[in-house]
Amino acid sequence: MLVLLFILFAGMAIGCALAVVAQRNPLYSAISLIGVFISLACLYVMLAAPFIAAVQVIVYAGAIMVLVVFVIMLLNVEEEERRRGRLKFLLPLAIGLSAVLIAEVVFILVSMQAPLVASAPAGPAVGLTHSVGSALFTQYLLPFEITSILILMAIVGAMTLARRGGLLSATARIVPGAAHLPLSLIDPAVGHESTEGVEAETTAEAERLLGIDNVSRPPKRN
Amino acid sequence: MEPQLSWYLALSAVLFTIGVTGVIIKRNIIAMFMCIELMLNAVNLTFVAFSSFFQDVTGQLFVFIVMTVAAAEAAVGLGIIIAIFRNRETLDVDEASILKL
Repeated sequence: MLVLLFILFAGMAIGCALAVVAQRNPLYSAISLIGVFISLACLYVMLAAPFIAAVQVIVYAGAIMVLVVFVIMLLNVEEEERRRGRLKFLLPLAIGLSAVLIAEVVFILVSMQAPLVASAPAGPAVGLTHSVGSALFTQYLLPFEITSILILMAIVGAMTLARRGGLLSATARIVPGAAHLPLSLIDPAVGHESTEGVEAETTAEAERLLGIDNVSRPPKRN
Repeated sequence: MEPQLSWYLALSAVLFTIGVTGVIIKRNIIAMFMCIELMLNAVNLTFVAFSSFFQDVTGQLFVFIVMTVAAAEAAVGLGIIIAIFRNRETLDVDEASILKL
């Protein structure tokens, strides 16, 4: 019975994973990836880890995939078109490397001298929320706290990356038609407090009014 | 007959390999991102399988922390993707071959 369930969920996981790679539309890939997550959650339940299974569904299939699908919708990603050149040598290379990786794993699994010590899944006591929580908040408290700092850094980093406009200090003035930069960024000799607003139609005019039209700056990007 | 530990390890290896293949052959940066998530999940399966078969809860704590790292990675990675798209109007990794936005 358990073997049948394992085969069912493992087949689902592998099939959905292949679909993730094979689909050209990223949205279909995302849906297939949710299938992988769900079948892995079922496997976790079979492994007597109900807490991890629930977290898998809530965090992965819920939060992370909602974020991914949201970005796909936001950016309006088109399907990949078939293209020349790159895939011609990459596809055989990828398949060859995968074959090597699988061969290594098979070699290790086959050539293991002794069978692995334990042979039966744990009793229901190991994976419960109680045991996970008590271990997490006593013996492994430091990694838990470090993880919270990591989350904080991720929040700040994501906000900084996704914000429009770049560096904008409290005293910066916005020049129409120009990049929204404080004057002190363009000309380090000018202090933060000395930036005053000017009204201009073009960037060049604003530079002339601000007296920085002869300041050297990095070349514009194309 | 019960499912053996090596079955779970083999399944995990297959999933990881599919993820590696996807990262190599995909060109869409979001699809590559999802393949990385697939690889993280394959490793999680290994952790949970060992944790269950050796009756030790430590592996599941590792999975918990890996999930947290994956969530942080998703937030920062998608922020980077949005920044790249805003600057380049494309998600093709071949187009973003120089290290500036």
